[in-house]
Amino acid sequence: MPKGVANLIPRRGLWSAGGIFFALLIVPQFAPEFYVYILTLIFVTALLAMSLNLVIGHGGLFQFHHAAFYGVGAYAFALILTKTSLPVWVGFIAGPLTAAVMGLLIGWFCVRLSQLYFGMLQISLGSLIWAIVFRWYKFTGGDDGIHGIPRPSFLSSSNKVYYFVLLIVTFCLIVMYLILKSPFGRTLQAIRDNPQRCEAVGVNVRRHQLMAIVIATSFAGMAGVLFVVLERFVVPDLLFWTLSLEILIMCLLGGWFTFAGPVLGAALIVALRTFVGKYTEYWTLILGIILILLIFFLPEGVMGYFLRISERSR
Amino acid sequence: MPGQSFSFAALGSQFLVGLSRAMILFIVCAGLSFVLGVLRVPNVAHGALYMLGAFSAYTISTRIGGSAGFWLALVLAPWVVALVSLIAERALFCHLYQREHLMLLLFTFALSLILSDLVKFVWGATYRSVLAPSFLKGFVPVFGSPFPRYNFFLLIMGPLVAVGLWLFTNKTRMGKICRAAAVDREMVGALGINVSWVFAAAFVIGCYLAGLGGALVAPTVSVTLGMDHTLIIEAFLIVTIGGLGNIWGALVGSLLFGITQSLGVLFWPQFAIVFPYVAVVIVLLLRPRGLLKSVW
Amino acid sequence: MLQVEAVYKSFGDFTAVYGAHLTVERGELVAVIGPNGAGKTTLFNLITGQLKPDKGKILFKGEEINGLPPYEICKKGIGRSFQIVNIFPRLTVFENVQVAVLAQQRKSSNLFFPAQSLAVEETSHILESVGLSDKAASIAGSLSHGDQKILEIAIALGNDPELLILDEPTAGMSPEETAATIKLVRQLAETRGLTILFCEHDMDVVFDIAQSIMVMHHGQTLIQGKPEEVRKDKRVQEAYLGSVELAEGR
Repeated sequence: MPKGVANLIPRRGLWSAGGIFFALLIVPQFAPEFYVYILTLIFVTALLAMSLNLVIGHGGLFQFHHAAFYGVGAYAFALILTKTSLPVWVGFIAGPLTAAVMGLLIGWFCVRLSQLYFGMLQISLGSLIWAIVFRWYKFTGGDDGIHGIPRPSFLSSSNKVYYFVLLIVTFCLIVMYLILKSPFGRTLQAIRDNPQRCEAVGVNVRRHQLMAIVIATSFAGMAGVLFVVLERFVVPDLLFWTLSLEILIMCLLGGWFTFAGPVLGAALIVALRTFVGKYTEYWTLILGIILILLIFFLPEGVMGYFLRISERSR
Repeated sequence: MPGQSFSFAALGSQFLVGLSRAMILFIVCAGLSFVLGVLRVPNVAHGALYMLGAFSAYTISTRIGGSAGFWLALVLAPWVVALVSLIAERALFCHLYQREHLMLLLFTFALSLILSDLVKFVWGATYRSVLAPSFLKGFVPVFGSPFPRYNFFLLIMGPLVAVGLWLFTNKTRMGKICRAAAVDREMVGALGINVSWVFAAAFVIGCYLAGLGGALVAPTVSVTLGMDHTLIIEAFLIVTIGGLGNIWGALVGSLLFGITQSLGVLFWPQFAIVFPYVAVVIVLLLRPRGLLKSVW
Repeated sequence: MLQVEAVYKSFGDFTAVYGAHLTVERGELVAVIGPNGAGKTTLFNLITGQLKPDKGKILFKGEEINGLPPYEICKKGIGRSFQIVNIFPRLTVFENVQVAVLAQQRKSSNLFFPAQSLAVEETSHILESVGLSDKAASIAGSLSHGDQKILEIAIALGNDPELLILDEPTAGMSPEETAATIKLVRQLAETRGLTILFCEHDMDVVFDIAQSIMVMHHGQTLIQGKPEEVRKDKRVQEAYLGSVELAEGR
């Protein structure tokens, strides 16, 4: 079993994280542009996966349509950049803020319900938003989406985008780590393990869960903003349910009771998708097979597995 | 914007269109609800199985040709889907019954991914169409608007399936066991019945219905990749507002969904697709556990 | 301190609690006994807010608490341990108790400080007083059953309660563990000035430490009084199959 909550990242883990960070800083100096692009995409996806894990792995909530908040953040940013002449930094704030507000609204209804209903209600509300975005051609571009979104002027090269995204994602991850180590995070994990007991010791479980959802959705919104900065377009697919399930797979693959598991999961899935995509158009089949292998042989995820065997060998 | 031609004839005609669509939705959702009730797992692969049913119907009907082809497809395609689901269940799914429900749900998701690429592999990415048999082709004037003859067939099939399911779950031994397992699987096991086989039967029956829905819908839409995606969301929503596991709830939900969508076309064609979602949201906000009682 | 007046609770056709009464004075050790299905746990659930009474009143320190959610009732000073072990299996023993202490200090929503530096003193103190200090870093799920039940009590203490409600605290324990738990409960009552309300099946335990006993049967209160009164009461003896044991007295 993992060693409680206090050891969320063992000492060695912090050193390797630092090492990886420095390696990532040097990469753009010698790697071809395509790899820089893929790494940037991985950073964005990692942030999204981590935000989901905040509520599902550490909070125990059936957040089945997390992508909706990601898409909303992306669209908010895109719309501000293309339809208004507001400065870019307004967009940077509006993305996570819109996602957080939506998280508050949807979450408020969902926390009243038990697990499966929570998930189903989320899917319904999220799909409603998808349907509206999909059809509102005049405003959101409908199923075409919005393309050719201008990049903020200070991000003139793909290397600059890379560093920008890396910085923001690292910052967000550090904040997430601090939150998980705080009393809030500890109580959240206690709620995951035994909500009834938490109520009995004086924790307002619903309010706590709602706060967790709002925090997680604002990070998802931030990821959406970064997506637009990188890819310069938005499409309704960002809000579609299948993306939500894909992020779930990333959390599972990495290990959802660990801290950094989802990062690993996101990296693996994006990398696989890109490179497998070169040889075959049946990526979906491979994703399905990976998921089945995970369910049967590695339900604690890659990182969970490594943490377990490294502990046994001590 | 709202304010389209609003005559009672148009209303009536659209109502019937919505009703026929609701019949297909019901057949598919009844299967989903059945699986949900007995196995307590929402089958994400249901949409892919529906799609498989439609494609299988295409192949069978075009191979054999003519009206006979259609009827044969209608009979055989659901069995193809049932067979595929049985293989998936016995080979893999049944080993997971002791695990948490989230794992079962993820398995059905994996299954849906694999199946949809399988369909892509076998049939490719182009549109297919299936022709209705000759006496069901064409239109009949109803309320002054042309109404597809085929839809009358759907309006008969829906209640037929409903009655069939009712007979099965209330009059046959297997059906009663399924109902009992939905409420208390341990009790069923304690009676000496192999619960795993009950689950297998329920799963296969549910998937059969998905395939049947696909085969029935084939002449009315273009059979194409991606038809699983929108259907699975609609099916999930319908099953949720109907009450988890409740087959009559699936009927109520399907009616609500189909009719609000077709009436939405009258009032606000651009956003017709939004109407059923809004209806779902309203229902869930007022009665989050669904309109009818869930099986558990 | 605690007053339960004519409280009713039904589940559909089945009436679990039928006009029960209970009085607990400050500083007392009160036991609720009754055969299985008499409604003891339901009564406790009504007091601590997991259930709402259909009729009747529950007063704590003069204030009505029926109908309040559990976390509110907890904040008023009532702590509770559960019959079926209800801990946080994935957290360490220390963290288990700490969650309760943090909630008591209203720090559960604190986002900005590392949790391991907060509430350390109070948590260690509680672990010491129940004798679990040496196991503080173990994962709660790996403890023995007896230790888990003690952890149950420790978590309830985390709220610094004035009234501690224990639901079958010695269930499933060996005789040594039971004796140790009794000693602990007595000690806690004295050193912390706690009022304790508990329910038990083990009659030895009950007649050993309870100062006032309430007997429940079919959801009703048969009698509440001092141990000798209860022992002699004919209705109590009829309700219990072990009437012989009661009459002999221990």
